[in-house]
Amino acid sequence: MSISWARALIIARREYLTTVRRKAFLFTMIGMPLYFGFVMTMAIKPEVSDRRETLRKFARLGVVDSSGVFAGAPREIRTAIAVDPFKDPLKTETYRTAVVFYPDQAGAEQALRARQIAQALVIPADYLATGKVRRYVLSSGLFSNTSAGRPVERWLVRGLLAGHVDSARIERAARPAGEMALYSLDKEGRFQLKDDRREVFEFMLPFMFAMLLGLCIVTGGQYLLQGVSEEKESRILESLLCTVTAEDLLAGKLLGLGGAGLTLVAVWLGTGAVIGAPSMAMLEFHFPPLLLALGIAYFLLGYLFYASLMTGVGAITNNMREAQQFAFMFTFANFVPFIMLSVLMNHPDGPLAVGLSLFPPTAPVTMMLRAATPSATVPPWQIGLSLVLLAGAAWLAVRTAARVFRIGLLLYGKTPNLPEILRWARTGR
Amino acid sequence: MLEVRDVVKTYDGRAVVNRVSFEVPPGEIFALLGPNGAGKTTLIRMITDILRPDSGEIRLDGQVVGGDAKRRIAYLPEERGLYRRVKVVEALAYFGELKGLVRQAARQEALDLLARVDLREWADKQVQALSKGMQQKVQLCTTLIGDPRLLILDEPFAGLDPLNTQMFEEILHERRAAGCTVLLSTHQMNKVEELCDRALMINHGFMVLYGTLRDIRREYADHAVVVRTERAPGAMPGVNRIEPVNGDWKLTLEPEATPQAVLGALVERGVPVESFAIATLPLEDIFVKVVREGRGLDRGQSGPPAGAAGEAGPATATAKGGAR
Repeated sequence: MSISWARALIIARREYLTTVRRKAFLFTMIGMPLYFGFVMTMAIKPEVSDRRETLRKFARLGVVDSSGVFAGAPREIRTAIAVDPFKDPLKTETYRTAVVFYPDQAGAEQALRARQIAQALVIPADYLATGKVRRYVLSSGLFSNTSAGRPVERWLVRGLLAGHVDSARIERAARPAGEMALYSLDKEGRFQLKDDRREVFEFMLPFMFAMLLGLCIVTGGQYLLQGVSEEKESRILESLLCTVTAEDLLAGKLLGLGGAGLTLVAVWLGTGAVIGAPSMAMLEFHFPPLLLALGIAYFLLGYLFYASLMTGVGAITNNMREAQQFAFMFTFANFVPFIMLSVLMNHPDGPLAVGLSLFPPTAPVTMMLRAATPSATVPPWQIGLSLVLLAGAAWLAVRTAARVFRIGLLLYGKTPNLPEILRWARTGR
Repeated sequence: MLEVRDVVKTYDGRAVVNRVSFEVPPGEIFALLGPNGAGKTTLIRMITDILRPDSGEIRLDGQVVGGDAKRRIAYLPEERGLYRRVKVVEALAYFGELKGLVRQAARQEALDLLARVDLREWADKQVQALSKGMQQKVQLCTTLIGDPRLLILDEPFAGLDPLNTQMFEEILHERRAAGCTVLLSTHQMNKVEELCDRALMINHGFMVLYGTLRDIRREYADHAVVVRTERAPGAMPGVNRIEPVNGDWKLTLEPEATPQAVLGALVERGVPVESFAIATLPLEDIFVKVVREGRGLDRGQSGPPAGAAGEAGPATATAKGGAR
């Protein structure tokens, strides 16, 4: 495989510029982070605001105490929740709920229907023996309303203990572990205090980094697939191949579109660093440079591997639709680790994680997930072996793609069968 | 000088190009003919180094094609296209750069070529905004940019109006005058007769005709003469049949008779002869005859026709067509 790098670079420049100037590229570059931000916001914000809204409406609780145990219980429930649990968990606001007693269930139900109370709590006569209570609400969401459930439970604790123990013990019994610090062994062998926000960050970092890597590999491969399919459909290849070799063309495309993929990574990482910088500074979190170096290495090799396969697919198919159908299985292989995300994150050094991080098609995403997971300890030999295997697979993919590419480019109107493709890959004819 | 020597290409054990040899010197427009599926495209792809021959050799100006020699070859395929979502001048300059021009020079030559084909004002428009005919002219320009030494054109006139066809022909003559070798593959035999000096015809991968057009016509001429006279010549010795053809008279000769003897007999009888010519078949008829009768295929292999080597060129080539 001899390549004229002068011609390959001309092709690379054209491929890069044509791609980054496309509206679809700009849309992906800007739209993807916005989309993720939107999805995250939509997933977290309603949860927080829903809880506050429930507590705001929970102004009065009707109680029917048939057991007589709660006669001395407090007549008010105070619930404090964080204004923004992510920005500042210490800043709280307090919601008050008045407790109104009713002599019977009918009276409580009537008050509930008249919306004089938000909920009714019916405590049967045998409560102490059974622990059973009934809550009545006008409507409830999926899986009941836990936001208002917890304050009611705490009120029950306070009511049970009122007059029997001092107020400090009552408070403690209501929230026995309001502050439970958890220390875990880190990679250096020291017990470190686990911080919830840091935990979220440490989960998000490997997830986002691996997702970013996977997306860039697939996006670069898709650009190649699209480019080859378009050139094949527009019948420009024969004119081009008269001037350049198929190897020049392949090398130029891999370089140019790989550059476009790297541009995406750089812009996304840069934007992420700027947006995440305050949070990282507050948590004293430093982005490990080794992780970045590994990310670049896995991107380059993973991109070469997948992009070569995509190029081969583009060359043997007749149009973009056909190419997309074939390419799906490769794209899917790249994202397999995300399907097994919970297993990989909980057991980052388990056999499945090790196996997937050594298997070339899943290696880039899995290894990045493991390397960025704080609780994982990836031995250097595994990283080395994984990179060597991936490099070998990438070399084989480029070599095979070059052979299939050269023959497939001039094939119109017929999709070759598997034995034909294997023969091209083996012999180049 | 393009030299093709004993080139063979087989697919699945079947030779699609079988021992084809020919030469085309600089400054010649050479026709590559053959029915569909004859192996022309495969032969062209080998000349452009898109495919490699199984055996044989192809050289351009003494250098085996491939590598840097590719820059001196330009090919306008029958099935052709352009990048659609780029400016016309950029689409052209890209090909110029690939042929070794620096970016600025490629752009300048692209603009000059666009001016030559009356598309200068379209330079900054997107290719997809051009009509089909305009796109064809741009496709021709992508072939011409970089001053190629060998120009291979496959059905270049298809879809062009007479005005653009004429412009196309003028450009071919300009290139020819500048020493460019032109290989023209077409089924439009009138264009071959107008433009080409010599021709090669292949059928089922075999060379079945090769030589100057004049010699090919002579080789396939009926044993007849065409005369223009005021009155019918009347029966005479050595003439089998007399029939009117487009206002002239076609005289089919007996096998042993010669055109000179017939002319002498006409003069002797006092027939006023306005014109006298050997009757030849149009190239299209020769094409049909050769393909229909399978001429040249009975040899089992083609190979260079005897005496072809060294006789290339419009001034020296002799007819090597027929069943060789």
